[in-house]
Amino acid sequence: MKILKVLISILILVVINSNLYSQQVVELNIPKSEKVVIKLMFRNGSICDPEGKEGLTNLTASLITSGGTKELTYKEIQEKLFPMAAGYNVNVDKEVTIFTFQVPKFFLNDFYPLLKGLLITPAFDEKDFERVKSNIQVYVDQGIRASSDEEYSKKALEYYLFGGTPYQNMVQGKTASVQSITLDDVKNHYKNYFTKSLLMIGIAGNYTEEFLNTLKSDMNSLPDAPVAVSQKVTPKFPDGIDVKIISKDEAFGSALFMGFPMDITRSNDEFAALMVANSYLGEHRKSYGVLYNKLRETRSMNYGDYSYIEWYDEGGSNMLPPPGTPRSSNYFSIWIRPVQIAKQLKKQYSELSDIKIGHAHYALRLAIREVDKLVKDGMSKEDFEETREFLSSYIKLYTQTPASQLGYLMDSRFYNRNDYIAEMGKLLAKLTLDDVNNAIKKYWQVNNMIVTIVTDASEASELANSIKNNLDSPMSYSNLVKAGMPKEVLQEDDEVATYKLNIKNVEIINSKETFK
Amino acid sequence: MIILLSSLVLSSSGLKSQPKDKILPYPILQYKMQNSLNVVTVPFDSPGIAAFFIIVRAGSRNEVEKGVTGFAHFFEHMMFRGTEKYSKDKYEDVLKSIGASANANTSDDRTVFHMVGNVDKLELMFEIESDRFQNLKYSEHDFKTEAGAVKGEYTKNYAEPLSRLDESISNTAFAAHTYKHTTMGFFEDIVDMPNQYQYSLKFFDRFYRPENCTVLVVGDITQDKVNALADKYFGKWKKGTYEAEIPVEPPQAETKFVHLQNADVPPYLALCFKGPGFSDSDIDLVALNLIEGIVFSSKSDLYQKLVINERKLRRIGFYSGMSRDPGLMEIYAQMKDKNDIQYVKDEIMNALNGIKTNPVDKKMLSEVVSNRKYGFIMRTDNPSAIANTLSSFISLSGNPESVNNYYSLFDKVTPEDIIRVANKYFNETSLTIGTITADETCVIK
Repeated sequence: MKILKVLISILILVVINSNLYSQQVVELNIPKSEKVVIKLMFRNGSICDPEGKEGLTNLTASLITSGGTKELTYKEIQEKLFPMAAGYNVNVDKEVTIFTFQVPKFFLNDFYPLLKGLLITPAFDEKDFERVKSNIQVYVDQGIRASSDEEYSKKALEYYLFGGTPYQNMVQGKTASVQSITLDDVKNHYKNYFTKSLLMIGIAGNYTEEFLNTLKSDMNSLPDAPVAVSQKVTPKFPDGIDVKIISKDEAFGSALFMGFPMDITRSNDEFAALMVANSYLGEHRKSYGVLYNKLRETRSMNYGDYSYIEWYDEGGSNMLPPPGTPRSSNYFSIWIRPVQIAKQLKKQYSELSDIKIGHAHYALRLAIREVDKLVKDGMSKEDFEETREFLSSYIKLYTQTPASQLGYLMDSRFYNRNDYIAEMGKLLAKLTLDDVNNAIKKYWQVNNMIVTIVTDASEASELANSIKNNLDSPMSYSNLVKAGMPKEVLQEDDEVATYKLNIKNVEIINSKETFK
Repeated sequence: MIILLSSLVLSSSGLKSQPKDKILPYPILQYKMQNSLNVVTVPFDSPGIAAFFIIVRAGSRNEVEKGVTGFAHFFEHMMFRGTEKYSKDKYEDVLKSIGASANANTSDDRTVFHMVGNVDKLELMFEIESDRFQNLKYSEHDFKTEAGAVKGEYTKNYAEPLSRLDESISNTAFAAHTYKHTTMGFFEDIVDMPNQYQYSLKFFDRFYRPENCTVLVVGDITQDKVNALADKYFGKWKKGTYEAEIPVEPPQAETKFVHLQNADVPPYLALCFKGPGFSDSDIDLVALNLIEGIVFSSKSDLYQKLVINERKLRRIGFYSGMSRDPGLMEIYAQMKDKNDIQYVKDEIMNALNGIKTNPVDKKMLSEVVSNRKYGFIMRTDNPSAIANTLSSFISLSGNPESVNNYYSLFDKVTPEDIIRVANKYFNETSLTIGTITADETCVIK
């Protein structure tokens, strides 16, 4: 086995080649692989959307992947693609657009003309445009509000956190802006922002140098417009705790997000210290975090509770963080999965028939109080060591497939790193407890943040009143659960129920008014 | 690596190449222990990493008693509540020290506990998992508390109207079989879960037994090592005796209807036909899988007509599904205009009726087979993906080799098989129609 490992380390070559065609290329050659993965990352993203045309980058990219080329119609592309079981998709984020193509190695040469056509000679056909635009329109008009209250709350948090900046709107745009986008807008946006100078090429798997040279040469035919370099987005820091309660019909629970801007990214070595603190507080989809332990395990309040020091894509479906959303503007956030509302609790337990609100206010207090404790007291030596050991192994699992490995390498370039996972491993090894506790004090606080709560219309006004006036919010257990609850938990409940928050504003927003 | 290369050979007919022989190009090494626990090792070139899965062949299908639907899923949660040796907190500390990605999930036919991590920690994985599978011990208070997390999971899912529609469709389509309820269970049973402590003990005693489980390890490991660890940690696990009597679903006599009023999402149509139970030797399920590609894929005439040219639909698809007993196959269509519901339903039925009489073009058939085989290869490029795939087949048949058997059937399907299978399954008498529109009712023929 050792010999095999040595062989593999020789075969997997990570190379950066930024000379030829002035293109930045990330290579991950895996000769034993049965497939080839190609990622084309453009430094554009939704921050390039003109005012009033929010969603234009996403619509342009979506039309490229869901439309035809000058050589082939969409149908003809699908017909060629199907027997190969090859596929492609695009992910647009705030600052990048990434096209990912995956194909069995046997079909690479048959597949490649399709890739080339999509990027270099897209048809931008009117009918394809109407179809693609209509599907995005229905997402911004209806989908975001009516599929996952958690995702809705998360997008709303960004909307308010980044108010007045190019980060504010959803990548997909909003009702009026998508409506206003024309096919000419798309064609111009392609010419201005899907350019060769904004492109980074990534390739992984079983490919030849000759193939890569062809790819690089062809991508040199991309538009060549002058690049408007975007400025880093700097959101206004919230003044006090500003709570946005989004009221909708037929919500079954209250979905909470909260956060504040944080001036640090993966570029900074201190990020490793914050990774440890964050993992301890609320590692994504893990039962080890403090928030998960207090809210879900001890008190049975919901399905899970986590914290984040950067954007985490599709948290509801991903267990491990996917690559592909590098950002230069960052924020800290907490995700409280839907907790019970009064209407439901009253129906289920007669002993709770007189409650006015469900668990949202209590959950908000508990979560912020835990951050407060961490800022004041720091992590213990034991917790620090355990969490660091966990992360040192765990981050290696982020790159189990050639596609994720390549993705992380490309993201590394965005942050001016060579190999983020390997470098974080080294930084974690060097960390001290003081590094972590100093980083917590430097970057985290509890008095200024935005909170979004998507909840049922029946809950909204009483919840707003309770939060606005810092009213006591005792935890309302069913008798069944309360009977066995340890004394120290009930004691902590009393402290949480009266924990004062620095509330400056509470606002109820009708769901129908969001993302218009 | 040698096995991998030899399994892909050039074909002289039609397509450039097709995977031949066994679809999974890695050996599936099985060891049946004396207590009937099946131990499966799949060596895979993933330096330093292994996936460690335990598949329990118990899911919501096994919930035969009234009032305890959702219990297989609830029990998946309870498995994280500790033992005498490893309390909940200690278990979590050990899990954290392993640095693995670990979790569990439940569906109709099985519950899967999974870890992916450092292969050097494999023995520790065996130790903590074997302990909780044999010695799980939780307090009644912990049991009642965990029920709230299940309700929280239901609460999160409820926001999605399609999950509410699926719940109603299952409840309507099945009269007797336990597929009538979803894996989450009926909401009234979820609310009542804290009162079912005694039943939970019975559930563990019934299903968490070696004859019902498979230990699966995929990654940088040998079979000898895995078998030795299995002997050491699972050797004393005692067999059980319980066998659930799953009610047999009577034949459906007429089309059934379910409607959900919701103005906040686009109009939606679901046509759900009763399908076959899983078999790795019968061709019906594979033929249905191919029909998905022939009739509903993005290259199909129906897709091109309704989605691309007429733009009546935003999307359309077909899940032929795989379930241990005959389950539901779902054709779904998201519409632009609710007034098109009847038209869309008729177009779908016309397309299905078309393949009942007209033999499918052989080139088309060959292309769909190619798509399925290469699709498999594209998906199985890491230990987790391979283990997940094998888990499905283990849950369906008990035998991981079913994956190779199942995929070997694709080459045997003929145009005549497609006609026979389409006639057998796509009948209005076995159909349940689900709709979502802004209206209180939806009339559809």
